[in-house]
Amino acid sequence: MKRHLSRAAWLLLLSLAVVTPVAAQPAGELTVALSSLSTETLDPVLGGHIGKFYLSLMFDYLVGVTPTGQLSRDGGIAWRWEASPDSTRWTFHLRKGVKFHNGDELTSEDVKFSITRAMGKRSTTGYAGTLRQLVKDIETPAPDRVVIVTKEPTVIIPSYLSRVLSTEGMILPKKYLESKGDDVLVRAPVGSGPYRFAEQVSGSHIKVEAVPAPHWRVGVPRFKTVTFKIVPEETTRIAMLRRGEADIVEVSRDRMREVQQAGFTIHVRKEDAHIDGWWIQPWDQTPLRDKRVREALNLALDRREIAATIFGGMAEPASVPFGLSWAFPDIKFKITPDLVYAFDPNRAKKLLADAGYGNGFTTDIYAFQLPGLSEGKTLAEAIAGYWQKIGVQARLVPVDYPAFRKAWFDRSAPGALGYYNVANRDWIGTYAIVEKYTHPSNKSASMRDPEIDAMVEAVLHQTDRERVNALIRNILVRLRTEHLGLPVVYLHTPYAASKKAAKWNPGTVMYELNLDELVSTKP
Amino acid sequence: MRRFVLTRIVQSVVTLLVLSLMVFLLARATGDPLSLVLPLGATQEDYENARHYLGLDLPLSVQYVKFIANAVRGDFGISLRVRRPVVDLLWERFPNSLALAAVSMALSLALAFPLGVLAAVHRDRALDRAAKIVATLGQALPTFWLGIVLIEVVAGRLQWLPAGGTGDLSHYVMPAFTLAWFVLAGIMRLLRSSLLEVLDSDFVRTARAKGVPEAGVVWRHALRNALIPVVTFAGVYFAILVTTAIVVETVFAWPGMGRLAYEAITARDFPVIQAVVLVTALVVVVANFTVDLLYVYLDPRIRYG
Repeated sequence: MKRHLSRAAWLLLLSLAVVTPVAAQPAGELTVALSSLSTETLDPVLGGHIGKFYLSLMFDYLVGVTPTGQLSRDGGIAWRWEASPDSTRWTFHLRKGVKFHNGDELTSEDVKFSITRAMGKRSTTGYAGTLRQLVKDIETPAPDRVVIVTKEPTVIIPSYLSRVLSTEGMILPKKYLESKGDDVLVRAPVGSGPYRFAEQVSGSHIKVEAVPAPHWRVGVPRFKTVTFKIVPEETTRIAMLRRGEADIVEVSRDRMREVQQAGFTIHVRKEDAHIDGWWIQPWDQTPLRDKRVREALNLALDRREIAATIFGGMAEPASVPFGLSWAFPDIKFKITPDLVYAFDPNRAKKLLADAGYGNGFTTDIYAFQLPGLSEGKTLAEAIAGYWQKIGVQARLVPVDYPAFRKAWFDRSAPGALGYYNVANRDWIGTYAIVEKYTHPSNKSASMRDPEIDAMVEAVLHQTDRERVNALIRNILVRLRTEHLGLPVVYLHTPYAASKKAAKWNPGTVMYELNLDELVSTKP
Repeated sequence: MRRFVLTRIVQSVVTLLVLSLMVFLLARATGDPLSLVLPLGATQEDYENARHYLGLDLPLSVQYVKFIANAVRGDFGISLRVRRPVVDLLWERFPNSLALAAVSMALSLALAFPLGVLAAVHRDRALDRAAKIVATLGQALPTFWLGIVLIEVVAGRLQWLPAGGTGDLSHYVMPAFTLAWFVLAGIMRLLRSSLLEVLDSDFVRTARAKGVPEAGVVWRHALRNALIPVVTFAGVYFAILVTTAIVVETVFAWPGMGRLAYEAITARDFPVIQAVVLVTALVVVVANFTVDLLYVYLDPRIRYG
């Protein structure tokens, strides 16, 4: 009898084990090996947006985005937001029950604290200046409601506080910072994201671990830990992928196919960056003041050849200065045939002659490499070669990027060419970057065009989205027709992945890698 | 001896002060770190705020005195790039460099001693010629090339060893070997030539005449006398391995002092640059001092003071 009872008990237990769903648990690790983690700063307000991809696993944004950069009610702390009729009061309704990693509940006070801190004097975030200019007050009528009051009507508030742009929208724990000190985040960051901080060794790695409970953003995090490793040498990254020491690695356009042939999946962020050249201000005393000269310098470039040879076919010709293509669907902009620069050295020579530079002139090109643009110096040499063919003697100035940036900001080399692999971005990002390169008060201004200045100013205070779109379209057309820069190519960025990340869309959000998709177990 | 030690300490302090002043001024001559710390669209007000917050608005003399006063207490300020105390970064990186340098040096010495001695004893014979090839290759092969080939073959193709980063002993093998080969070549050649010179001296001939076995002559009498130049070389190279193995640290993703220096220089991170240079100088001073003390042990005729 006893034996029968015991057997029945075992059978019961067994049947329970079969029918009771066992809660999924995070398992294994995901390792991402990249050439750089930028500043490696763990405080969203002190680092800058290039480190967004690792910070956004630890922190939640006020406004979320889809992998293609559309504002999303599912991906942020705010599940709904609306503007007052005059667009000066933006009300955000916050998710209830969201907890920081230290157990504190996330409320409107944290949101107010975070935005105020992002706009504060210590902040080095990308777009704090614009927010300072716009925001008049932040009200917290209820723990789950926050109201941002602006000085003037605007539609850009949700985008500026979203994951699509910089880090101003990351929500930080007020009580934690107030009790532990304002510097605590760089040592022990506490956010409310699906992963919490585990370890940082500068120059080596940043490791985060899954939160113990299912997270509203991704469900039960798929991996127990995610590690971001700094591996500057590509051969080392590829060897790590082969040995299983890394699951996602940054590969060069040169070696992409070799890695693919070895059986790894290649994920490409198409048109990830736009290579833009610009001239150091003030260039109104140089030949560049003549529009024909600027057009000639553009027509001298064979962009197809550059894309095919220097970038191994992993690039497409570009035509519009700061024409960031991920914004085009938003603003309904298209590159029409008349905007495309032909490769036409003969017409370039004629334009130079018409402008009084038939014998050419001499100019400088700063030559440097950049993270994600190891081909930088080769590109500078190629541009010098193309210009030489139309009679323009370009001297290469080999420097590192900080030295160029000093010359650019100090305006100590008027008319010299510099360049950058500008991260592709949506409409608000495009607006923000154009503002940085055009606004007269910015050290980074590389052009002087009152018409563009007026349109940039108008965007900030325009409340009709269609008019905003039209303004940005007109800015792009003006940049192109006045030849206010040297757009070169759109650059694709490949990543090689192991089986763990074989199905993964790195998305089209600036400085993000859409790792939420990889760590998510939500259907 | 005490006078010697005191003199060396005073000399070292003066050296460190002069060096710190040079680095302090040179680092500031290469560019404004704020242009890298602040975003593109930062306003003049943003620059002034940051300059004030980071203490860069103070007169240079005040900045220098503050830097020295804090450095004496072990406070090197806050990194402009990572925004963490510089001393934390040094604590993370220095042990990695020290460990890699120690393993590399141990490997170099373990191989260089027998090879150098055998090459000297078997001068111009096959073994000597083989050692010469090893030495030539060690000094001729660029470390970045050797490192990359090792990673590609041993880690990438054969998958025997980790490709990069720190960890258990297996992580040390390739970077330590890459560093060690270059140093081993130098030590071996130096030991060979030094030993050949000693083997030709009167006291060695006397020992042989007295019937001391050849092994005893070489290992017990000659070798000790041949070690002074080798110790000097090894001491200097140990300091170099600890502080400036930038190439090997980059190739093997090894978070050490060399890469910290490189990262700081490219970001114009003054506090880190200053701290790294001071630590580097300190390591060189300590290494040289240790070498001086070893001289006394190796050659009792040497007396300081």
